[in-house]
Order: sequence, then structure tokens, then C-alpha cells
Amino acid sequence: MRQDGILSGLRVVEHCSGVAGAWAGRLLAALGAEVILIEPPGGLELRRRAPLFDNGSSALFAYVAAGKRSVICDLSGREGQGQLLALLESADIFIDDTPVAERRALGLKPEALAASHPGLVYLSVLPFGAVGPKAGWKGEEVNLIHAGGEGYLLPNGLSADLFPERPPLKIAGHFAEMQGGTAAALAGLAALWSGTGQFVDASTQEANVAVGCFALQRFGDGSVEHRLTRSFRFGGVIECADGHVELLTLEERQWQGLLDLMGRPEWSRDPALDDVVERSARGDEINRAIRAWARGQNVDDLVARAQEKGVPMARYNTPAQVLAGAHEQARGIFQRQCLPGVGEVSVQAAPFRIGEAPPRCAGPAPVAGADQHLIARHGTERKVTA
Amino acid sequence: MKPLSGIRIADFTVHAAGPFCTHMLSQLGAECIKIESAQRPDIFRKPHAVYGRAGPATFDQVASNKLSVRLNLKHPEGVALARQLVAVSDVAAESFRAGVMARLGLGYEDLRAVKPDIVMTSVSSSGQSGPDSHFAGYAPLFGAWGGLGHLTGYEDGPPVEMRHVMDHSVGMNAALATMAALHRRRRMGQGSHVDVAAREVASAMAGEAITAASAGIEPRRMGNADPQRAPQGLYASRETDRWISICVTTDAEWVALARLMGRAELAAHPAYATAAARVARREAVDAIVRDWAAVQEAEVAADGLQRVGIPAHVSWRASDIAGDPHMGARRAVVEVTESDGRRRKAVGFPAGFSRSDAPGMDRGTPGLGEHEEYVYGELLGLDRRARDRLADAQVIY
Repeated sequence: MRQDGILSGLRVVEHCSGVAGAWAGRLLAALGAEVILIEPPGGLELRRRAPLFDNGSSALFAYVAAGKRSVICDLSGREGQGQLLALLESADIFIDDTPVAERRALGLKPEALAASHPGLVYLSVLPFGAVGPKAGWKGEEVNLIHAGGEGYLLPNGLSADLFPERPPLKIAGHFAEMQGGTAAALAGLAALWSGTGQFVDASTQEANVAVGCFALQRFGDGSVEHRLTRSFRFGGVIECADGHVELLTLEERQWQGLLDLMGRPEWSRDPALDDVVERSARGDEINRAIRAWARGQNVDDLVARAQEKGVPMARYNTPAQVLAGAHEQARGIFQRQCLPGVGEVSVQAAPFRIGEAPPRCAGPAPVAGADQHLIARHGTERKVTA
Repeated sequence: MKPLSGIRIADFTVHAAGPFCTHMLSQLGAECIKIESAQRPDIFRKPHAVYGRAGPATFDQVASNKLSVRLNLKHPEGVALARQLVAVSDVAAESFRAGVMARLGLGYEDLRAVKPDIVMTSVSSSGQSGPDSHFAGYAPLFGAWGGLGHLTGYEDGPPVEMRHVMDHSVGMNAALATMAALHRRRRMGQGSHVDVAAREVASAMAGEAITAASAGIEPRRMGNADPQRAPQGLYASRETDRWISICVTTDAEWVALARLMGRAELAAHPAYATAAARVARREAVDAIVRDWAAVQEAEVAADGLQRVGIPAHVSWRASDIAGDPHMGARRAVVEVTESDGRRRKAVGFPAGFSRSDAPGMDRGTPGLGEHEEYVYGELLGLDRRARDRLADAQVIY
């Protein structure tokens, strides 16, 4: 059975301008739900967000909207609001990231929707949630990775050693917002499982605090982590002659494998280093030796030899290398899609699979208003504003 | 009732990613039975020197609310007992290397034989198939394989390693996929095998850059910057190591920022009036904001920025999160009571529900084997004598 049947029959209406909500919808689309984007006249701002293809269209949108449908619906007027309400009659989940203060003006009052659509899961996805002292706060990716605690703790290892005075660093792309989207999709499906329509209040900040829970626990244990001291004692990002690798030896046999790989250098014969605590204490010294040795090594050759010896090591892949990866190709994680004005591109269909077949999105990201008939079909007057 | 009340999970996961998956489902109301043995407890129960710390890692956080039993999977009777547990469960979750469960006699086909509609969730480094499926890995390697590590870093610096957030993101995705598989089971009566490869979660987090690369664009590291937004970044406040994150997207936000900084003359200045102009002069824009931020108290500045509609937040430490009234009001940070009465702070579930009972943790960290009377006695119907015999035979061990 194909992956796209997992949630088939489920209808999701998505009214989102940010990545978190869009990612929640995207995950449900990859799982086979029908996801219908509600776009304002002129199309979503996400259609213009970087990274851009050569023709100026958005690779971000191509990625986060793959498999979705699109209708244009002007929620600033009664007609558009009526169209949305009609569409929600047949929806199971409504994903919305409209700021709380602006919901009423768009006809999106949760209490009213609960009364008119009692079976609907209203999945609110906001940077800081829909209630609480900061419910009205705005948050973009760079804010959210820091509001969740992980931003303060990055970078570690080589970057932290090289640039200790620099500001803390975000993870590339939309990591924090995607955590918000994944947690929201999980919460939405859990609400649906409960069998009762309800309002679900998801917060991207909280999703990030959750995935960064280690920091809070360490704080409870009496220590506050810091990016300059959180580094692995040795290993980490290692520069080779032609690129970087990641090296991490957590188990004794992996450490022994590393020493084999390095040809059992003189310094490593110190019996005191048999003790893992001693090793940790002398991490800086060990790392200097590893870094000096690795600078003469070739990435692909080193990684291959490391894997043979059971030493956890990975090449820092560029996006092009991920696309060309033998493992990724064998697993078929990328789906070829044709985009107007761009041509064929590869899109990772989902971060997971259910069954052996790779997941597939129903199609490429939609043209704005491509599915306008969905509004007409639901009994309101058809009005194409695109 | 919590949303997943009535769902039971036989939880074979260890380390970070797998246990975080079942931790999410447990907080949503699933009954989660954590399976370990005294010889091979979850290594996250104990400290590890390479992290340079004395205490255990995330164990307390992710083990909270779970039930604990000892079970020796190296013993044939242990495997038989594990199958019995699966037979009374809805989900079986594991995070061993690909192939290990099958070698133990607990592969998907084995589990299906005792529970035809079981949802089995496998969390691994590189997935259940493919040439690298035997690779061991940790969060920094997932980030490296998946391209996310390469893309993260200062513009003129090396790639950056991903840490626990990467593992836990894998767990969050696994929880979502498991939830979807449960929905299908409810609809179609079919179980399934959920395969979550950590490196694929990492590449999914870099998916837009990978899609761009497939069209010949070469995405690069860009620190905290955004190619379409300026100012965007982390700005030092007057307090030591206290940074303010600021992101200006629209021209209206820029006007508000210029006024807030007491630089109204910049609001409509053609050199800064549009996003394209600001991006073209990113260095100059950053310097203006940097000078302003350098004399600000961080929290006051973030609050002031938000009041005029500019996305801003202080780069928070765990201490900020633990004491935050907003998080507290939302039950995002909760108190958990251990079996010995000790209380500690923990992170709650990242969403609230209007009609289901609130997700969260009703118990602290289980002692190893603390719930064997309930699990082996009540659920599997083994009386005291049978359990004693299995303990003597080093099966419940």
C-alpha cells in the first residue's frame, strides 16, 4: 500500500503565513491527507521566501507546499469568510497561524468555530501559543531558536573554538519553526484521535524547549550550560585536507578503533588514557592531536576507513552530496517534481516512512488558486480573484 | 481523558531519539512500558564522561511517566515474554541498529505473528534499508549526513554539529508517524512498520536548501543572516553574554525600529527604506542596531521591540525558561514528583487541548523494574510464583 494512503480521507484546511504552520500541513500532506491552502489575493508571502530558484520563485515554498492544493480566498470580506466556513464543513483539521488579535476580523474566532463546526480540530500554531502573557508576541526563526534555549548553546566545538567572541548561532534554515510544525501536527492528530472536535494551542517556542529539554534538566541538576563549554571533550567537527568530518567516539571500542585508525600514535600509549575520565579531562590535548592528524587526511578515504573500524564518523555533506548519496538514492527519499518556470527538482517527500515504500507527495507545490473549484463545490458563490 | 488514553506501548527504545518519541506519546496519555534489563540498562540512566558531566543526560525528562520492567532479551524466555507484552500493546517502539530486533526474534514479522495489527516504530541512524543501514550514529553525525550541519555555521567558518535537539526532533517525528499509523490502523484495521531514519529527519530540516540545490543553486552557510531580511541577527546588550535576537522583515517594522532607536531620520531614508536596500547595506544596518543594542538591558529591549511590532527575543538560557511566567502559565514547564517525593522541573507537552485532559507527566522517573507487578502480574497474568521463577532464571532480570 502506498504511503499516501496513511491518512487518506483526511481533509486539512491550512491558513498559514509562517513556516511552522505550513510545515504541519506539509507533514500531513506527505502522510496522504488532502491539504488545502487558503491564500490571500496575490498569493502567500511564502511564495517569495528564500532560497529562490533562478526564476525568482521560492524553493522554500516548493518544499513546504508540495502535495497541497490551493484556493484564493479573501478573508477580509464576508464572502471569503463564508467560503472558508463552507470549506471547513468537510474538514477534519484547520491549521491557522493568524495572530490572536487578528482572528476575529477574519472570522476566525475559535469559540464561534467550535459552535458552528463542533467536530473540527482547530489547530492554532503560533510562535508563543494562543494564551499566556506572550501570546501576542511575534517570532521569526531567529527569535524562536533563541526563545527555546538552543540558540544560546550554539555553536560548540570547532566553531566555538575559532570564534569564541561571536554571537550565538542559529541552526540553518527553519529548524525551530519546523519543530513547531512537527509538534503541532502530532498534537492535531492526537486531538483527532480523541474523537472530539477541539481547539489545540500549539507553540513553536514550546516545541523548541521540548526538543531542547536537556538544558532544563541540567539546570535542575545545578548547572547552566554554555555554548563554549558544551562541546564534546574531543572529536566533533574535524577539518580534513578537502573538507570536514564529524567524529564522535562514545564507546570504548570506538575509541580503540580511532586509535587504530590513527596508527596508534606515541601519545596514545600513555596508560592513563585507558581511563575514560582521564581521557575526558585531557580532551583538549587529544583533540589537538586528532585535528593535526586529520588535516593530512582525505575525507572520503578517511570516512571509509573509519566505518570499517567501527568508528562513528560522517562526511559533512553539501546539499548536492545529500542528493547524490547512494544511501539516499537507494531509499528513494527524493521525489522528482516539475515546477513551472523551474523545471525538474528533487523534493524530500517526508522525514519518515510507513512501510517499505518511500513516501510520495500528491504533486508539486500548487499554483495559487489552482483548486479554486473546491470553494465553488462547497456551495458558495464562485469568485476567482487570482 | 488525555487524547491517547487507552493506547499501550511496549517500549524497547534506548538513548535519546527513541525514548523522546514514546515520551511524547506517553504525555499524550498512552501507557508506556519501558523495557530494560539490569545487565543492559538504557545507557542514558548513567553519566557519560565524554560529555564531561557527572549526572545522567536526559533520562529523567524522557523516562518520566513511563512504567519500567526488567526483561532479559538475551534469554529465549525473555523474548517470549517480550512477545506477550507486544501482544497486549498497540505500539512496539525500538531504536536498535537495523536488524537487531529481527535477530532477537522481535522483528516486525515476529511481532505481527503475535499481534497482527501492531504498529512497530523503528528509530535508527540511517533507516531499515539501504547500504548504510548498519551505521551507528549520533546526533552530530545525523546532521553531517543530512546536510544540515554543512549549512549551519558562520559564513567564514566551518560546519556546526547538531546536538540533542537533533535526536529529539527525530523522536518528535517518530511520534507523529506513529500517531498517523495508529489512525490508519483505526480506519483500515492494519498495523504497519514505521521507519524513521535520523539522517532523513536532518535532511528534511534542510529540505528547502536541498531542493534549491537540485536546481543548480548552491546554498551556503550564512550565520544568523537571511538573504531577504536586514537587520536580522543577534545583538549584544549591555549585559554580559546577553543577546537580543531581532528580525525585521517589513518596511513598517523598519520604520518602527528606527523610531524606537531614536533614529527617526532613518525610517524613510532611501538607503534603508526597502528590504532590498537594507539587505544591500546589511553591514551598515547591523552596525546601527548593534550600537543601539549595546546600551540596552536585554529583556527591556525585547519587550520594547515587541510593543512596536518587531519580532525580538532574548537569547534564553535554561534559567530563563525555568522561571518564565509565560511558560509556567501554559504548563510548558511543569513540576514532576519522583517516587521518593522529591520534586523537579520538567518540560511539558508543547500544545494544549480545549476538551481533552491536559497532556503531561503524572509520575517521575521509574526505578528499574518498578512496575513489574502491574505489567507482569496484572497485564500478563503471571502470579508471584511464576514471576519469582522467571527472576531466578534471569529472565526478569
